[in-house]
Amino acid sequence: MLALAPDASSRRAAAGLAGPAPWSGTGASGELVWGRFAGSGRSPYQAVADLAGPAYKCSCPSRKFPCKHVLALLLAWAQGGVPEADEPSDYAQAWQRGRAAAAARREINGADPGPGVDNGGPGGAEGGAGGGPGGAKETERRAAAARRAQQRAGRVAAGVAELQMWLRDQVMAGLSGTTANRYGHAEAIAARMVDAQAGGLAGVLRRLSAIPASGDGWPGRLLGEYAQLHLLARAHGRLDALPAGLAAVVRSRIGYTTGRGEVLATPPVADRWQVIAVRNLPDAPIPARRTWLRGRATRRFALLLSFAPDGYFGANPDAALAAGAELHADLHYYPAPPPVRAVIGTRHGPPARGQRPEAPGDLTALLGDWAAALERDPWLTEWPALLAGTPAQARGRWYLADSSGAAVPLLGHDSLWPLLAVSGGHPVTVAGEWSPAGLTPLTVWHGDRAVPL
Amino acid sequence: MTGLTYEDLVAAATVGLSHRPLQITGLSGAADEHTGLLDPGDEAAALLDAAALLVTAHRAGVRPVTGPPPVPAAPDDTAPELSARAADLLLAAGPVLLADLLGLAAEHGYRAPAPLLPVLLDAAVRERGLTTAVAGVLGARGRWLAGHRPDWRRVAAAVRAGSAPAGASAPVEPGAWETGSRAERRRYLAELRERDPAAARELLAAGWSRETGDDRADLLAVLARALSPGDEEFLEAALDDRKESVRVTARRLLARLPGSAFTRRAARRAAPLLRLEQRGPRRRLVARLPGGADAAAARDGLSPGPRLLTQIVAAAPLAGWAAGLGVDVAELVSLPIGGDLAVVVRAGWRQAAIREADPQWARALLAAGWPGPAGARPPATWPPDHELAAVLPPDARAERAGALLAAGAASPGTVAQVAGCPAPWPAPLADAVIAALGHAVTAAARAAVPELAAVAGRGLPATGPADYAAALAGLAGTDNCPAHWSSALRRAAEAVALRRAFLKEIR
Repeated sequence: MLALAPDASSRRAAAGLAGPAPWSGTGASGELVWGRFAGSGRSPYQAVADLAGPAYKCSCPSRKFPCKHVLALLLAWAQGGVPEADEPSDYAQAWQRGRAAAAARREINGADPGPGVDNGGPGGAEGGAGGGPGGAKETERRAAAARRAQQRAGRVAAGVAELQMWLRDQVMAGLSGTTANRYGHAEAIAARMVDAQAGGLAGVLRRLSAIPASGDGWPGRLLGEYAQLHLLARAHGRLDALPAGLAAVVRSRIGYTTGRGEVLATPPVADRWQVIAVRNLPDAPIPARRTWLRGRATRRFALLLSFAPDGYFGANPDAALAAGAELHADLHYYPAPPPVRAVIGTRHGPPARGQRPEAPGDLTALLGDWAAALERDPWLTEWPALLAGTPAQARGRWYLADSSGAAVPLLGHDSLWPLLAVSGGHPVTVAGEWSPAGLTPLTVWHGDRAVPL
Repeated sequence: MTGLTYEDLVAAATVGLSHRPLQITGLSGAADEHTGLLDPGDEAAALLDAAALLVTAHRAGVRPVTGPPPVPAAPDDTAPELSARAADLLLAAGPVLLADLLGLAAEHGYRAPAPLLPVLLDAAVRERGLTTAVAGVLGARGRWLAGHRPDWRRVAAAVRAGSAPAGASAPVEPGAWETGSRAERRRYLAELRERDPAAARELLAAGWSRETGDDRADLLAVLARALSPGDEEFLEAALDDRKESVRVTARRLLARLPGSAFTRRAARRAAPLLRLEQRGPRRRLVARLPGGADAAAARDGLSPGPRLLTQIVAAAPLAGWAAGLGVDVAELVSLPIGGDLAVVVRAGWRQAAIREADPQWARALLAAGWPGPAGARPPATWPPDHELAAVLPPDARAERAGALLAAGAASPGTVAQVAGCPAPWPAPLADAVIAALGHAVTAAARAAVPELAAVAGRGLPATGPADYAAALAGLAGTDNCPAHWSSALRRAAEAVALRRAFLKEIR
């Protein structure tokens, strides 16, 4: 959510304002959220946000966009602090009408929306599918939503085409050129992708902006990222021709989000889910946490993604799950294959202390699963691993070796020592994230006790 | 012709296709069969697509390596591992309490839980005060782990100072003596000294003249362990060293060798300076001021000046006095000394009692007290009471500290004596501490409450009939108790409670 914030100080300010005190008349309906904020001004500020855009408006004089009031409103909404309403407030409706009219004018004139006018964000807003009453109003709203979806598709397509051009320019001019060989070189195109409402592309571009400063071999890594982006852009161009699964992957990688409600509508997978690993991503644009689960009966992996806009996970029950816990619950997988990311539906009991997971795999099985997963989503960056292995050392590098003697490099320096301490040179059960560079160990079991690494 | 590799594509992309065009007619490996899909009319797109093919093939085709041998396994441990709950308590403790808890664990035959070993070793690297405590709970697994990192190896090496056999610690590299750093050489020498004291001395003596002054001073101190008359000749020669710190160390070690020429010289210098004078039933000592320090005296560490008498008395072996003057120790130290020299002479005795760690002399000197004018400041040569009290056996120390607390407010000097009593304190001392704290808090007396509370957190018994944690917490909640006092008392209460919980885990 706070990825939308223009800077860190707005984020902090917003987090401070998100409490209920200064707000009045807040409400949410469909994809609109609104509220009045009693600020320092004479009359309260009116803040409105459209989650589908995302787009925002606030009557405050701040020149930051979105301002702290809008951010606070969204934060309060994300925390469940904004009640559902039947009908948007008058100022929210007025703003919607104004936007629709402006959009219509733009379509007629073919004008490009200038930055700051209808600013998009990297998505991340999930759910918000409030069921209003049926009738003519509903039909009208559906039509409006369909119009908006079409507008967005057009904007994304234009953005993707622009990205393709940019990528071609990079390899024509040369990666060593002055544009590429600079930290932050892709920030401008990333901002364009934000405008084009392709948040997924923007995220990748921001990440690869740091590659030219990442040390030896950076051109190889940078070209790899460019090539994968190019592949994604190409795939987007022929979205209709792709198999349904791959098309879903492409849409999600581009930045179309799937609402929580939509995920919860998929068939549940009931199991006793063991939390095998937790990885914090404090440096992500929005601080996040990956919680990896494995079903005791199904032996399936699942990924819960939690976000902490202000650095605290607070009351999010998913983020409270620690490695070693076990939860009897229904899981719903996101529709894009391979089925990994999931949300928890019905919980059949509180989390309990779990045991050591049974039947950890070997490296052959892991690499086979990884290759199969890449076939379904070529842009995957990591894959869950649950292995029985022993730390091994060669030429000063550390590896995890399975019982067959096959070994993969261990990544992450600090995790090595507790892993080595628990292992003592004997085979241990290790959970972590696999990537082609190696295994990042996240949990090792000491007897039945999960030790986070 | 073999196809282009990924590196070829990277090279082309780095230079830029506008500077050096590239026609892709084949790719290396499995990606080659898809070369036909590349658009020959758009070479930039073709390069990116080709790179995507190779990257994907590489990512999907990652194979494990074979060859890295698993690390040799750690030897089995016989000692039981601390429970998970005990481990949590360790993590909750600050460095001082942590050292105490680890000491308790080692005493009860436990070793640290494996997952905690890296944290403990790191803590011991940061805080030297934790080294021995951590080394005591490493177990075979911990010593094995420490062997993988040079900074941890030093912590594991501290086991030697404890009770474990020398062979159990990390071995010292054979070449350390010839090529190692000063610390490594000292470690090498210390280990040899442990195994073969004479060989260590001879090794040091063999290269003595080639060592730098700092190295000589540092390495000579290693001989403090396993000191024997066999070392005397070497140490005596070191009294003529160019380096002052070497001479100081040599004197300190020689003074610990009873019957050495050094101590005989000291006794000879001291004996004529004091004589007993009897007038009727009244006895007193008469001291003669020494004339000066000749070259031989200077060699033994004496320097001319007003403190020379104290120096000479301090250097002489205590055993000589009672025999030479024919008076028992208790009486001797309380006899008046003519010419206002009691402070000067007894300061020397106090220093000697501490050096020789003689409880009989220490007790007598403490009983005799301060001979100077009441309220006067003792000179710098006068060792404070708590240093003397440290020489007493533990129960005597506790009894003395309790009596001091009962007699007056908790002064910093008294707190130092209380701190010198080994934990857990016997009930009388523990009760006296609580009473003294209670008096200070209720009467808002001038007292070193935070200092005494900190000491109490370590010393008060955590088990037994009395609940000292509750007593401390009660004091912390007293009305009008100054905030920094109550927070110190509360911390002490927590320390006692934590120790109690920990003891419950390891019993």
